[in-house]
Parts: sequence; C-alpha cells; structure tokens
Amino acid sequence: MTDASVPSPDTLQEVLASLGDLTRRVRSAQRGTWFPLLLLGALTLGGILVGRFTFKVEAVSCPAGDAAASSGCTLITQGSPVYWTLGLALAYAATAFFYIRRSRNRGVGTPVRPYILTGIALVGLVAATTFWSIRQGMVQPGDTVDLWGLHLDPASGVTMFLERLTGPAAAVGLPLLVLSWVERSRALLLLTVVYLAIELVPLTDGWAGIPVTSPWSALPRFGVPGLLLLLGALGFGLAELPGKRTRS
Amino acid sequence: MSEQSDQHPVTGLDDVVHQRVRLGILTVAHQARRVEFGFLRTALGLTAGNLSQHLAVLEKAGLIHIEKGYEGKRARTWLSLTPAGDRALQDEVTQLKRLIHQIEQGSSAPKS
Repeated sequence: MTDASVPSPDTLQEVLASLGDLTRRVRSAQRGTWFPLLLLGALTLGGILVGRFTFKVEAVSCPAGDAAASSGCTLITQGSPVYWTLGLALAYAATAFFYIRRSRNRGVGTPVRPYILTGIALVGLVAATTFWSIRQGMVQPGDTVDLWGLHLDPASGVTMFLERLTGPAAAVGLPLLVLSWVERSRALLLLTVVYLAIELVPLTDGWAGIPVTSPWSALPRFGVPGLLLLLGALGFGLAELPGKRTRS
Repeated sequence: MSEQSDQHPVTGLDDVVHQRVRLGILTVAHQARRVEFGFLRTALGLTAGNLSQHLAVLEKAGLIHIEKGYEGKRARTWLSLTPAGDRALQDEVTQLKRLIHQIEQGSSAPKS
C-alpha cells in the first residue's frame, strides 16, 4: 500500500464524528417525550379531583382488641382504582398512537415499543394488586398481609414501601425509566429519578398542613408529582421547538 | 479469529459499506430501525437520483430491505437494515476504530 492510499486519523475521526452527528439527528427526530409527560401529569393532577369526589368517612365497628374501641372507629376511603387503571391504559394507548403517527410524518421508525409494553404490563400488575387488596378488606390487628406469597406485617416499613411502589411509582415511574433508556435521554432519566424519589419517599400524615381527614388530603400526594411531570412536558416541548423550526 | 486480528484493519473494510454516503445510510437506518427516503435525502443532503443509486448498491449487496407503498395518495419508500447490513455496519465501525488506533500508535512511536 502506498502512502497516498493510507487514510489519515483525522479523516477517519471525521467520518466517525459525522456518523455520531447522524445518530443524534435521528434520535432527535424520534423523541416526543413531552407528550407522555403531559398525559401522565394531567392524569396525576386529575387524581386530586377524583380523591375529592370519592372521599368518604364512615363510622365502623372497631376490630377486636383495638385500644380505641371505646371511642369508636372511623374508616376513610378515597380514590378510585378504576380511574388509575383506565386512565393509565388510555394514556399508554394514546402515547403509542402519537409516536406511530409522528414516526410516519417524520419518516423515521420509533423505538417506543418497550416503553408501551412495560407500561401496560405494570398497569396490569398494579391493578391486580390493588383489586386484590380491596377484596382482602381491612387487616385486623395482629394479622399479616399476604401479598404474592409474602407474609408482611402491615405496620412495617417494607410493607409501606411496597404499598408506595405498587402505585404510580411502578405504573408511571418505571416505564419512564425505560423511555429514558430507549430515547437515550439523560434529562428524562434525571426527571424520572426525581419523580420516583417523590413517589417513594414516605410523607407523614398531615404533610403540607392538610390533615388526612380532609377531602383535599390527596392534593400534595398528587399535586407535587403531577406538577413535576407537567413542568417536564413543558421543558421537553420547548427543547423540541428549535428542531421543529429547522425541519419546517 | 486470531488470523483476522493479525490482518491490517484496512483489509477488513468493505468497499460497499466504506463509501461515506452508504455508511451514512446504514447508520441512519440502524438508529431509526425504519427510515423513509425523504428523511434520508434531507439528512444526508443528497439528490433523489444520487440517493437511489446508493440504495440500489446496498440492496443488491443484501444490506438493506426496501419497501414501497402508499400513504393516502402519496408514494412512500421505507428502508430497513437486514441482519447482514447490521453486521456489516458493526464490522465497519470496529475496523475504523482499529485503524485510527493503529495509525495513532504508529505516529506516536519513536522514529529511528
């Protein structure tokens, strides 16, 4: 081989760099993160209203052996598992439709399938767990909670953590981790980690000055993560704007 | 395997894949999974005729699969990588990295 035919490392580096640029350009055309965040944020904020309208206080007979039996017991119920199951399933279906339509319009395939499949699978799992726990009814003092073969103490930290995990943290947060991976988005990964921290960190009753007996007690629980998701949607939407202008 | 690694990386470059535009086409198709003709043309800054020629070379080599169809009244051409195309792209990038490494090592070696 003559000297003239040997490529220089600079030229080869340029070739690899241009391939990297092309890859980034395709990824940018594939991203549509603002849409699922907008839907999930609106759904989460809607949970506040659902909590308000399903809030119910009942006087019930106290479980045997309860120290408070003499003063009577109150059962507070709030929220609707149907709202979350149906709402999240529709949100994932709408997200799949959005990405497929966008893929056709822009002329690039979409990597969103793992996100949608993870989301729907986890919504099913969370719904099954929720409906199962509703069927079990109130746990009597001294009894254990039998969850998927685990015998758990209802007052233990592990049970509380699992209770928080088998809610929006699993059905919204874990699929968002998958989305951040398929879209190779560090910004979404960061947002998801903050979201999961908010969902999984235990908040004591009466947090933000709203007592658990208030019909608006769901406000901080859903308001904070809902606003975070909506702010994320706004941020990702604005970040996509310069790209839209360039393409149009 | 060892025989291949003893060879100079230049010998491992495939002429069909190594051409700059075709390498770009394979890269975009790999990342996009499925890519439309118009997107490729814009991304690579090519004329339709030029892009068609490169696509024909890649299709003949069995590296891409081309689907033609209609969306409404609009004709659309989509292409995707075949497994052979995917392997060829990975091999090409590996050989390029090896080549850069080898040239850089050679240029930093003390001259007698």
